[in-house]
Amino acid sequence: MKLRSTVLAASVLLAGASGAVAQEKLAIYNWGDYINPDVLTRFTEETGIEVSLDTYSSNEEMLAKIQAGATGYDIVFPSVHMNDIMIKLDLLEKTGINTHPDFGNIDPAFLRAKEDPASEYCLPYAWGTVGIFYNEDVTGPVAGWADFFAIPEKTGGKISLLDDMREVMAIGLMMNGKSVNSVEPDDIKAATDYVLAQKDKVTAFTYESMPLIASGDLAAAHFFVGGNVFFIDMPNVKYVIPAEGGTMYQENICVLASAPNKAAAQKFLEFYLTPEIAALNVAQQFNGTPNIPANELTPEFIRSNPNINVPAETMARLQIFEDIGAGLRAYDRAWNTIRTAQ
Amino acid sequence: MARRRDRLVLAALLTPVTLFLGVFFLVPLLTIAVFSFLTPGLYGGVEWAFYHWNYGRIFGWADGIMEVFEPVYLRILGRSLSFAAVTVLLCLILCYPVAFWVSRLPERWRLVFLFLITLPFFSSLIVRLYAWLLILKPSGLLNEMLLGIGLIGAPLEILYTPTAVVLGMVYVMIPFMFLPLFAAVDNLDRSLIEASYDLGATRFQTFRKVILPQTLPGIVGGSVIVFIPSVGNFIVPDVLGGAKGLMAGNLVEQQFLSARNWPFGAALSMLIMSVVLIVLVTFVTRLRPKEG
Repeated sequence: MKLRSTVLAASVLLAGASGAVAQEKLAIYNWGDYINPDVLTRFTEETGIEVSLDTYSSNEEMLAKIQAGATGYDIVFPSVHMNDIMIKLDLLEKTGINTHPDFGNIDPAFLRAKEDPASEYCLPYAWGTVGIFYNEDVTGPVAGWADFFAIPEKTGGKISLLDDMREVMAIGLMMNGKSVNSVEPDDIKAATDYVLAQKDKVTAFTYESMPLIASGDLAAAHFFVGGNVFFIDMPNVKYVIPAEGGTMYQENICVLASAPNKAAAQKFLEFYLTPEIAALNVAQQFNGTPNIPANELTPEFIRSNPNINVPAETMARLQIFEDIGAGLRAYDRAWNTIRTAQ
Repeated sequence: MARRRDRLVLAALLTPVTLFLGVFFLVPLLTIAVFSFLTPGLYGGVEWAFYHWNYGRIFGWADGIMEVFEPVYLRILGRSLSFAAVTVLLCLILCYPVAFWVSRLPERWRLVFLFLITLPFFSSLIVRLYAWLLILKPSGLLNEMLLGIGLIGAPLEILYTPTAVVLGMVYVMIPFMFLPLFAAVDNLDRSLIEASYDLGATRFQTFRKVILPQTLPGIVGGSVIVFIPSVGNFIVPDVLGGAKGLMAGNLVEQQFLSARNWPFGAALSMLIMSVVLIVLVTFVTRLRPKEG
């Protein structure tokens, strides 16, 4: 994944360099594989702004780097709860993107950041779900977490979870009918116990599960909806949003207070309001967009897949992570216990 | 006069390295030491107020509300130390005979071999570990080969086990063990070995009394260089171990990232450093060849 993003970054740089007199620059700091390179190429073609792309693999990695004083980046893509934290820490710049005439394209349901309820700072970028990928030939039908954790015993197939504290704890919380943002000690204890009881069935905590499902080494895995990109030609591998509940994520495009190219960053936000551009990104990313008209422009197989283009009744069982402040300590302790248990 | 010039030259030669170590080693070390006694900031970073619970959480005093004592951290450290020790031992067993073999090769082949040993450094560690993932997975190269020649009936479950972690660590560390060992073996005075045989010593006696003491600096040097980074390694357990057994390195990484608790990460780093230092000092002083 890292390698791919590096190659990607290099090709984007090349594309930027070939644009005639690309004087203006824009430094994007994004999650790995989280933007369609064609979007960046189009941006350079239309504006002449040279784009560079650097990647991170977690909100915290990005925050730690920016907090430690990393400068030179213009745009970051924090998740909603990190967007809130970054505003509290004065790391973001007000852009007034909500006053742009095209801002009406954005579904107001996606203005989720508590610190930025009117989108004066950031532009909602994309959203998606976290669920279960399973190889139906091996596992049979899988509806949710109970089926998922039964796979090893029932079929001998192997399963993996994400190597992510909040995502794994969320499974335990949801199975006990609690909020994924609960900081109640009893809730956390019950969630920990649930996950611990499943641990010996779990082969690994990893982000590298998609190739292992493709090669048949894993039967099922906990992963982001974007993983569908690996299985376009493998109809036996399916994705489901668990019946008992799943998590969703949303990232926003934000301009850093320390951005050296604020004008170029502003242009990028405005560029991304265009429905065609948001749809171009969805076509490669397989996730959702808050841009309402863009949803009409996405490829048919994405529009018609209820696990990607999620209907309202499924939305109802999705939860999103919020900043839990000092409550994170209890999660960290639980996660250490889970990972060291034999 | 000459003396004074020697001193000046020496000072001039030592200044760059002293400055370099001072800036890039001592300053970060002091930062970590200071941070380990500060209050964690809510969103990472530190608040400048004295806070001893970071150590309390590890060693047994804690307020039980915000900070809870758990013996799990010492267990994780113990686990990391034993993995590192196994890595050192396996590297030594693998490299020691090879060092003798290489030292007897003709000059040209020796250079080729030394080049081959350093070849892995030409590509990124992450890429090499992913290659191991492809080799070790149930449908991977190793299992295909073993199944192909009928040596096993079902794929071996190596990936995402402690075996895979040790295998990966040994693979990563072999060059660090080999190079100092080779230097020591290559400098071995062969006439002493002949003399030992001439005087009627058995092969075992010759090894124990002549070869081993002469190559001991290489063994100690290699072991130290392998041991230190092995204790803190977190990439190998993540990629090949499936993040199932938490290691000291992972724990520290986690505190600085997902847990956003820099002071606790700093306290754990200080603990790891002091334990490694104690282990090494004991090891090196015990093994120092007895003079006279």
